[in-house]
Amino acid sequence: MIIVDHLSKSFSLSRKQRTEMASTSKSIMAVDDVSFTCKPGEIFTLLGPNGAGKSTTLRILATMLKPTSGSVRVAGFDTVKEAEKVRGKIGFLTNTTALYDRLTPTEIVKYYADLHGMDNRRFEERKRKLFELLGIDEFANRRIGKLSAGMKQKVSIARTIIHDPEVVVFDEPTVGLDVITARNIIQLIRDCKKEGKTVIFSTHIMGEVSLLSDEMAIIHNGKLLYNSSFDNFLKQMKSRTIEDEFIRMVGGEA
Amino acid sequence: MKKTLIIFLKELKDSLRDRRTVFMMIALPLIMMYVFSNIAIKMQMRQVVKSKERTLTVALITNSNAEDFKTTISKRSDMTLKLNIDEENAKKMIEQDQLDFAIVFPANFDEIQKEYKSGSVSVYYKNSRDIEIAKERISKMLDDYKKDILNKRLTEKQLDQAFINPIEVNSIDLATAKERIGEVLGGMLPYIFIIFCFMGAMYPAIDLAAGEKERKTIETLLSSPASRMQIVLGKFLVVVLAGITSAVVSIVGLFLAFKGVKEIPQKGLEMILRLVETKSVLLTLSLLVPLCVFLAAMLLSLSIYAKSYKEAQSIVAPMNIVVIIPALIGMMPGIKLTTTTALIPILNVSLATKEIVSGTIKMGLLIEVYAALFILAAVGIWFCTMWFKREDVIFRGM
Repeated sequence: MIIVDHLSKSFSLSRKQRTEMASTSKSIMAVDDVSFTCKPGEIFTLLGPNGAGKSTTLRILATMLKPTSGSVRVAGFDTVKEAEKVRGKIGFLTNTTALYDRLTPTEIVKYYADLHGMDNRRFEERKRKLFELLGIDEFANRRIGKLSAGMKQKVSIARTIIHDPEVVVFDEPTVGLDVITARNIIQLIRDCKKEGKTVIFSTHIMGEVSLLSDEMAIIHNGKLLYNSSFDNFLKQMKSRTIEDEFIRMVGGEA
Repeated sequence: MKKTLIIFLKELKDSLRDRRTVFMMIALPLIMMYVFSNIAIKMQMRQVVKSKERTLTVALITNSNAEDFKTTISKRSDMTLKLNIDEENAKKMIEQDQLDFAIVFPANFDEIQKEYKSGSVSVYYKNSRDIEIAKERISKMLDDYKKDILNKRLTEKQLDQAFINPIEVNSIDLATAKERIGEVLGGMLPYIFIIFCFMGAMYPAIDLAAGEKERKTIETLLSSPASRMQIVLGKFLVVVLAGITSAVVSIVGLFLAFKGVKEIPQKGLEMILRLVETKSVLLTLSLLVPLCVFLAAMLLSLSIYAKSYKEAQSIVAPMNIVVIIPALIGMMPGIKLTTTTALIPILNVSLATKEIVSGTIKMGLLIEVYAALFILAAVGIWFCTMWFKREDVIFRGM
């Protein structure tokens, strides 16, 4: 369960950034009074163009950033006051595989399992299961630097869910991946839902929204424009396609 | 604590698999110290041998006196004697490097000797390191000649050697050889240590912070249960270890170079080996540890601020000079460890090491240096952890 309550986040701007953005204000609202709830066993999609505030919201969920105002509770814990407990409950995956080139898949997965305080027996069991499922076994002891993008993505997935997290956060997980690898991620998101985990993922790809979403939110310039179920979104559409409707909502021409 | 250890071990493994880090940390200091020390020793030895064996051109102006001396000197194969030059010409020739020495006896030298008085003999030369060694040969000859005359006088007066030697003075030079070598080599050693310590720590620091940012692994690490403090400390320990390893390896290189040179006279070798005796080395290392902690904190803070590996390199590179200058000042003669200089980081380590090697370190000042370094190291760690907690630093450029 994730409860986002009137969340705002502002970043201060340096003089250089102000000139670049032709802005006079000393700070910028990356997230502006956003509230939503993600329930276990459901997939929540955060949809928005680049720079909408998706990554900032997800980083706050993962305790990397602190909110300027408002609060977030993840799996029953406050992300500011109980940050460490929150981190123990989540798995975080981005579009960059975020792996260490000089380590092997086994070593990386073991590293994160250790940080999550998993005992050896549980780790071995879980590792065997995931490696078999994802087909990592054949390259489990090769250095990451020598693996293909698809192989790396598989290791990344294993690393994210090795500790069987209650909540899974995906920040634009499929950007820049080929169709086959992207499918792996889509499958992973579905599996997480099946296992009753709370899943939140951000994207700007409409196709993924229709493939996965139970609940969705549209975010633009830090503000929440829409928050309801995907079915409702389809029902209230004024444009012909999902894409057109999205562009209409964020104020573009459609 | 356990998570810090997990991070430390992982970062250590990761760093040791990085060829650049390993090269900068182990291979470079070892090879550089070994090769450079060898070159320095060989050149020095050759210089000494050359000055000792070189044939000297000597003008002897006796004004028809001191025939015995003339006979002795003309028998020497390592000296070319010029006899028909006057004093003024000889001086000019020395200035023009045509002559090495001119030995001038006064016109009434033999007469003075007959009266049992003292005659002054002048030796002209142009000072340089090279001539300094050669001059020993001339001095030795004149000394021998002096002893001959003295013995003759004693025999003529039927006196015993003890007559002119009422007190046998056993003079013991208190500025021991160790102390003098300590001044020279001791000034150089800390300089070498500090530079290698910095260089060895530099790559892991860049790789473990800026590199992690560039590879985007930092987000994943920050979303793991490890706290910022544990992450910093884990990384930090690897950087410190790399710096110290590098410094220790450079000592090993130096030691091997000195051991490998056979031409060093036994006495010289003993002195050098005493320099690297366990106590001095341990004391020096104990000074190096807190300094390395401070340098690591500084490097890691700069590195995490950088957006990329490349930016980190360009920020860190000028720091080399910041580190080298105080170490260089410590090498200059005349700058001593005082209550003030003991407080200046890097310089204090440089000066204290110098005194440790020559065995003249004062306990009070050593404690002051330790205190200054420990405070500095503590502030370094504190700053680094605070710095890692800042969103605008960690996510700068992300």
